[in-house]
Amino acid sequence: MTKKIKLKMSARLSKKKFRKTAFGSKKHCRFCENPEMQAQIDYKNAAFLRSFLTERGKILPSRISGNSCKWQRRLTKEIKRARTMALLPYTAPRY
Amino acid sequence: MSRYEVLMLTVPEITQDESRQLEDKLEKLIESFKGVVISFERWGKYRLAYPVNKNDYGVYFLLRFEVGENANALLDELKMMFAVKLNNLVMRHMTTRLDADASLAYQRPPALEETPGRDVDSFLRENKMEGLLSIDGKKAAEAEVAVETEEQSAEEAAA
Repeated sequence: MTKKIKLKMSARLSKKKFRKTAFGSKKHCRFCENPEMQAQIDYKNAAFLRSFLTERGKILPSRISGNSCKWQRRLTKEIKRARTMALLPYTAPRY
Repeated sequence: MSRYEVLMLTVPEITQDESRQLEDKLEKLIESFKGVVISFERWGKYRLAYPVNKNDYGVYFLLRFEVGENANALLDELKMMFAVKLNNLVMRHMTTRLDADASLAYQRPPALEETPGRDVDSFLRENKMEGLLSIDGKKAAEAEVAVETEEQSAEEAAA
């Protein structure tokens, strides 16, 4: 067994980053530079917003949905507004 | 002139008269502050995502208006009105600011009255199977079967 070389922190971190990005496909944000989709982000548009919730009613993280930071923030804001108006659930019902 | 919209959720037992009264009250309030009502729409009865004030259903109203300088005062008055006068009727409300140049079109989820019924009668009607589950229908079906068997036996006898 060769002796394990203890790498420096920066080398370890850059290797880790490489491992993560090597496999995943580059997801494109569906809202960036797409004003039609941007106009759909509205707290009244519950059907559209529902596609960004899991089955338990939780908001999908941007690493799953592929949204960029700016649009994820706007989306979250509208989802939370819709939740207070009872258009979207806070949590899935326990049947 | 800044544009605002208010989405209101009321109890499901609201009557036509009460909704007219609500509309009139809001209109008067807005006119008193020299504003203009753009639209007042009744979305209809909806099944709520979670029970609100122990109601599973509710009626949504959307009010849109435009106001000049005394916008702050008007919004405060509106808030007070919802808190005090209409608190039996209106369960939730949300006031949002709209861009002055944005389009007034929006999308909303389908109301209960618009979704097709999922009970047995409407299913039978749609698929033209009316009478299949009723007793008269059964007798009619049995009569047909009896006629067919008679024909068959007649053919066998002839053959």
